[in-house]
Amino acid sequence: MKSFLRLLRKDLEASRWPMGFLSAITLGIMLLVSLKIATGGWPTQAAVAAVTFPLVFLPLWVLWQSFQTLRTEWREDTVYTLLVLPEPGWKIMLAKLSAILLEYTVLLVVTVVGMLIFFFPMVQEAMLVLPGAGWVVRNGILLYVFSLFMIASTIIFVQLAFVVSKMVGRLQGLVALWTLLLSGWLVDRLGILLEPLFGWIPTIPVHALFRLNELKQGMVADWNIAPEIGTWLGTLALLVLTSYLFEHYVEVNG
Amino acid sequence: MSTNQALVVRDLKKKYPKADALKGVSLSLPQGEIWGLLGPNGSGKSTLLKCVVGLVTPDGGDITISGQPPSRETKAQVAFVPEVENLYRWMTIRQAIDFTATFYEDWEHERVEELLNFMRLDPTKKISSLSKGMRARLKLILALSRRAPLILLDEPFSGIDPASRDRIVEGIVRQFKSEEQTMIISTHAVGDTEQLFDAVVFLDEGTVSLQGNAEDLRRQYGRSINDLFKEVFA
Repeated sequence: MKSFLRLLRKDLEASRWPMGFLSAITLGIMLLVSLKIATGGWPTQAAVAAVTFPLVFLPLWVLWQSFQTLRTEWREDTVYTLLVLPEPGWKIMLAKLSAILLEYTVLLVVTVVGMLIFFFPMVQEAMLVLPGAGWVVRNGILLYVFSLFMIASTIIFVQLAFVVSKMVGRLQGLVALWTLLLSGWLVDRLGILLEPLFGWIPTIPVHALFRLNELKQGMVADWNIAPEIGTWLGTLALLVLTSYLFEHYVEVNG
Repeated sequence: MSTNQALVVRDLKKKYPKADALKGVSLSLPQGEIWGLLGPNGSGKSTLLKCVVGLVTPDGGDITISGQPPSRETKAQVAFVPEVENLYRWMTIRQAIDFTATFYEDWEHERVEELLNFMRLDPTKKISSLSKGMRARLKLILALSRRAPLILLDEPFSGIDPASRDRIVEGIVRQFKSEEQTMIISTHAVGDTEQLFDAVVFLDEGTVSLQGNAEDLRRQYGRSINDLFKEVFA
């Protein structure tokens, strides 16, 4: 546990400047938009764009960061330090994955806090048409938890693609791209293939989970989770594979 | 197989896309000695050491470290100083020490303080602010602060100023424990380091061209290892 936490801390500390920069940019954009709205330069709808922009940008940033955190190890030769550690590959890969998930959470919190600071009157206005603060917080947390699964899958695909590309001497970019596409397709197929195995699992009543009835009477939405289970199992298997390849087969630059 | 062999390499082969780095290297290093792995640039020295620590995968042959094939367990027995700058530059010296210490059970906290004093390094300094010589000294501290049975130093004197080089050589002599450790120093600059070696291996284009006890070779050829090196690789 101690070594995992040390690796996690290392990855978090390595990203503190980019994280600070991104947080500042997010808050800066919100401040600018709120000032423009306050002076009548822009319509109040600009606030929606200012909040949506970081939320749209976040998945792209995760994709980039998953790639960048590994690429930096090779580019700066610090991978020499990582690969000689007497630690299992999963610890190193999981520390990187956890660091990105934590960074994603921090940026999400910055966005929400920025929204509350700079656009509070508009948030209050929106609350009038929503069932209540408790409903918003509850659903926000649920959406965050679901997004973590999506984000973690993305990170795992990128990690596998990068590690596989480092096992070949040539065409590393092309190999990485193909591995990324192939792994996504593979876990998707696995989900479909294994669906009958998990067909006994009852569907999740999304309307009850998110209390959608409080928003609109009679709203019904069910989620068949059976194909997702196969996909998650496949993604987990890819994480194990990446960790194994990282520990046993990956090479430093020749 | 004799268990007092710190490292045995048999018919080791490694091919890169543009070159054959190792073409069947065989070595057997007894415990308690300092070996010089000598050869010009591109002779396969670094590749050989990288194969031993698992940084590259050999295409053929086998390696045993204290009788075991390379694994997570043998990684815990090897202290490796690569030629490249493998330190996290945003860390301070103290952070780099604490980071490394976390992963090795053989870490000696008293020894690291002694080495910091001896190498004249301020632990509060950022690695990015250190000179190349200071970074080389820090890398050596991170390796010598452990009681690792096998220490591998890849070109530890490359591009280092004479003052730092002397400190490093003295540091090695002071910290090496011949009763429990074995060391390999790869270099293409034999001059100042010749006195360190108990035995030497000359690598040339991925093959061993000469190896033996340093004193025996001096006697046999009637010249220093440095002169022999110049003659072989002229």
